[in-house]
Amino acid sequence: MEEQELIRRAQAGDSTAFSELLDLYYDTIFRFAWKWCRHRVNAEDIAQLACIKLASSLAQYRFQAAFTSWLYRLVISCAQDWQRSQRRHDHDELVESVPMEDDSQAEDQIYLLQLLAELQELGEGMKETALLVHAEGLSHAEAGAILGVSESTISWRIHTMRRHMGKREARATQSV
Amino acid sequence: MKPNSLENLLKQEAPQPDPAARVAARRAALAEFARIHPQTANDTASKPRSKLQALLGLLRLSSQTRGSDTMPWYSRRGLVGGAASIFVAVIGSAVVWETLRQDPQVTELNRPAAAPPPSETRPVPEPAALDGAKAESTAAPDQRGRDAGRRAEAQTTTANEREDKSAGAKAQRAELRSPAPPDIAVPVPPPVEEPSVSVQTVTPAPTAATAPAQAGALQGQDANRQDDSLDSVVVTGQRRSARSSKDVKREAMPAVEAIQSEELEEVTVAKRGARAAPHKGMPQGRQAGGSMGGVRANILHSPEPGALPPPAEGRDKFEHFDLNSVKRPAIEGEQVSTFSADVDTASYSFVRKQLNQGVLPQKDSVRAEEMINYFDYAWPAAESRERPFQPTVVVSDSPWGKGRKLIHIGIKGYELPARERPDANLVMLIDVSGSMQDIDKLPLVKQSMKLLLGSLKPTDTVAIVVYAGAAGLVLPPTPVGEKEKIVAALDSLTPGGSTAGAEGIALAYQLAEQTFRKEGVNRILLCTDGDFNVGIDSTNELRGFVERKREKGIFLSVLGFGQGNYRDELAQALAQNGNGVAAYIDTINEAQKVLVQQAGSSLFTIARDVKLQVEFNPATVAEYRLVGYETRALKREDFNNDAVDAGDVGAGHTVTAIYEITPVGVDARMIEESRYTTKPPPPAGTASEYGFLRIRYKLPNQRKSQLIEQPIRMEPPRASEVIQRDVEFSTAVAGFAQLLRGGQYTGSLSYDDVIRQALAARGDDPYGHRSDFVQLVRKAQTARGM
Repeated sequence: MEEQELIRRAQAGDSTAFSELLDLYYDTIFRFAWKWCRHRVNAEDIAQLACIKLASSLAQYRFQAAFTSWLYRLVISCAQDWQRSQRRHDHDELVESVPMEDDSQAEDQIYLLQLLAELQELGEGMKETALLVHAEGLSHAEAGAILGVSESTISWRIHTMRRHMGKREARATQSV
Repeated sequence: MKPNSLENLLKQEAPQPDPAARVAARRAALAEFARIHPQTANDTASKPRSKLQALLGLLRLSSQTRGSDTMPWYSRRGLVGGAASIFVAVIGSAVVWETLRQDPQVTELNRPAAAPPPSETRPVPEPAALDGAKAESTAAPDQRGRDAGRRAEAQTTTANEREDKSAGAKAQRAELRSPAPPDIAVPVPPPVEEPSVSVQTVTPAPTAATAPAQAGALQGQDANRQDDSLDSVVVTGQRRSARSSKDVKREAMPAVEAIQSEELEEVTVAKRGARAAPHKGMPQGRQAGGSMGGVRANILHSPEPGALPPPAEGRDKFEHFDLNSVKRPAIEGEQVSTFSADVDTASYSFVRKQLNQGVLPQKDSVRAEEMINYFDYAWPAAESRERPFQPTVVVSDSPWGKGRKLIHIGIKGYELPARERPDANLVMLIDVSGSMQDIDKLPLVKQSMKLLLGSLKPTDTVAIVVYAGAAGLVLPPTPVGEKEKIVAALDSLTPGGSTAGAEGIALAYQLAEQTFRKEGVNRILLCTDGDFNVGIDSTNELRGFVERKREKGIFLSVLGFGQGNYRDELAQALAQNGNGVAAYIDTINEAQKVLVQQAGSSLFTIARDVKLQVEFNPATVAEYRLVGYETRALKREDFNNDAVDAGDVGAGHTVTAIYEITPVGVDARMIEESRYTTKPPPPAGTASEYGFLRIRYKLPNQRKSQLIEQPIRMEPPRASEVIQRDVEFSTAVAGFAQLLRGGQYTGSLSYDDVIRQALAARGDDPYGHRSDFVQLVRKAQTARGM
């Protein structure tokens, strides 16, 4: 397979192959990063970090899982690092510090960011699970493989999130 | 399915990536790639730098040069633009400077401004720009502000490699978007030595300049704010930074660990320094980091201000902290470990609550020392009020690593006999805001307070103040003898309105002052679910207020209830500044424990500002690590400084600290022997000691501290059966806490091991707390396996 060949060559130190690999996967990386933070500039930051990290950790890819799965994991780790470094600057005002993008869905974005922040605090791995399953459309098994937990854990997390959202909904209708 | 359901919102497609960002990322990654594969790299990025480039590198700021080593693409890229801009900067700014000198208004602008600069400024020369050495690149006005801010923080740090990388690359990105027009732009580099950002010049580039410009203005403010925090670095200089690369790994999800590499270690270097940034106004060992942010975040979370704050889950705020790392006594500066006593137990209750719901707790909510100190241990109590501690030191084998040892240091505060108990003047300050209506909040508060009445003397007085939309007095100070009155007042409380915590606190202190008992206990019991979003809205101000009152002899304890928006860090900070206890009450049993069993310890302080210090003997101890107390770390010099606040210990309180050590000569070290340090000669007569324990404390009514000293012997006399058992049990709890934090230092320890240890050391367990613990570990096992 061509992609595997590219990876092998890049692992061997062929920078042309690595460059092609980047071309192939930058979109995937950026899109996933964007879904993580919902902000273009931040997503660019994360994507860039991920690309840099790809250079240093590509050697550790062992062809056991699909490359994209492995890549997701890498982006998640970079996004988490990035978030921690942001927190250091600005504590946890992430939501606040995100300048609005000039699209009509700004309100949705803010709401979603809030939801994602809640998920993150709901438990370890919740946000990642939501992104992989809902945003990327992966199966529970695939998401489990990426996050290193069992399929049933993913199912349980999705269930917990639904319940959380349900409760949230109920409260919202109550207070109206 | 609702149109704005989580699923649907998440399905929204990401936008197309920006080509410039793509190019920048690619370049950065290739540079990194070239660095890793120097021999095979055929990319231009790995070409040796030309002399001119090297010169430019020299011209750049020192904090940047380090970054440039790892990002030659940056310097390469900056070559042409940089040279051009320096040229233009020098010529252009000289000319413009000349012109503008006659224009006082602009010169005014040039001063470090507190207000954010207008987003569109004319090209204003900066004095620094005349100094060609400081002209960096023309790019990225938005980066400037951020950069300056970062540098402000980086003052205390080592060069922040990771950020330099992204910073440089970002600059480059902006450059790619708006090719710097060298003939218009006058670069104004940020004044680096002074972090406060003065004026930002925006290149009047036609393309993408406006949005970054606004960001730049905002960031400018940001930098000013960070400048503030820089002042406080000087004032409070903290050291709670230690973080090993393993720490960082630990925090990432286990699965992600597999892909860690040196990259992470770079982050580590950066973090180690930058974490030092503390907060103002808290000279104590513990700082409630981020609580200000918490307030704001909270406001942001409630969609309709003024209306009922919607209860929510997962908004509980915890201060982030890093685990204590392994230290080596042989290293200068690591020989001594100093921390403040901590008798809080809130962390255990919170963890229990989470686990009972089948969820693993947030890592930052797990504080090992609070979990350990939740349980009562049989450390012998002191015999007199004057010398209120009798330290117990037990050395045992560590279950977390072969060859390592555990040193338990246990103290138990002097137990006041009932007749010696001073009179109590209590003010219950109860949050009755709308968010308190849950069954585990106000109803539990009422029950708990009624329990408390049972453990008071008839001559003690109780007053009740509530706070919600408006603060109000419910019951003036009433002797406990008139119990029915107090109970009736408690029963009349109903939740409603928003929270005005600060006003409530002011009123409560006023009442406490009215009935102040000079010889007695004057204490405010704040019962809340953690919201203080109206009133004195600055937490610092609130803390300052509590601290001033403490000087007058009125203390504050915080009893946390409920869940959803529990503000742990704020509760902790308030209780600490108020010389009180922060406890988290989730069940009536817990109320029983805190308010009845431990009524003495919660209410009657027997020693203030209790600090512990252990000096390790480098001849016998190769490495040591303190379990927990991360947020209680003190600087070595704070130990003897009576002005530095520390934890208070109540009657009968037990405080337990556990060190894990690797004795010299044992092959279980985490850090290898340093090649270049010479071994110090062993001091005479101390070869049989692991270290030396010092405890400082003040008696409640004294200002000068007293000292207790005791050597930690390698072979202490064998402890009694009961003490051995409690050592075992506390070890199990410590192991559990560390597992919840990720099990970084506990080797192959599993939840099963913890259960086995705890069961073996359960003892009589009259109140069932220890059996509950075992159940809790089982729940953690299940929650993890889910």
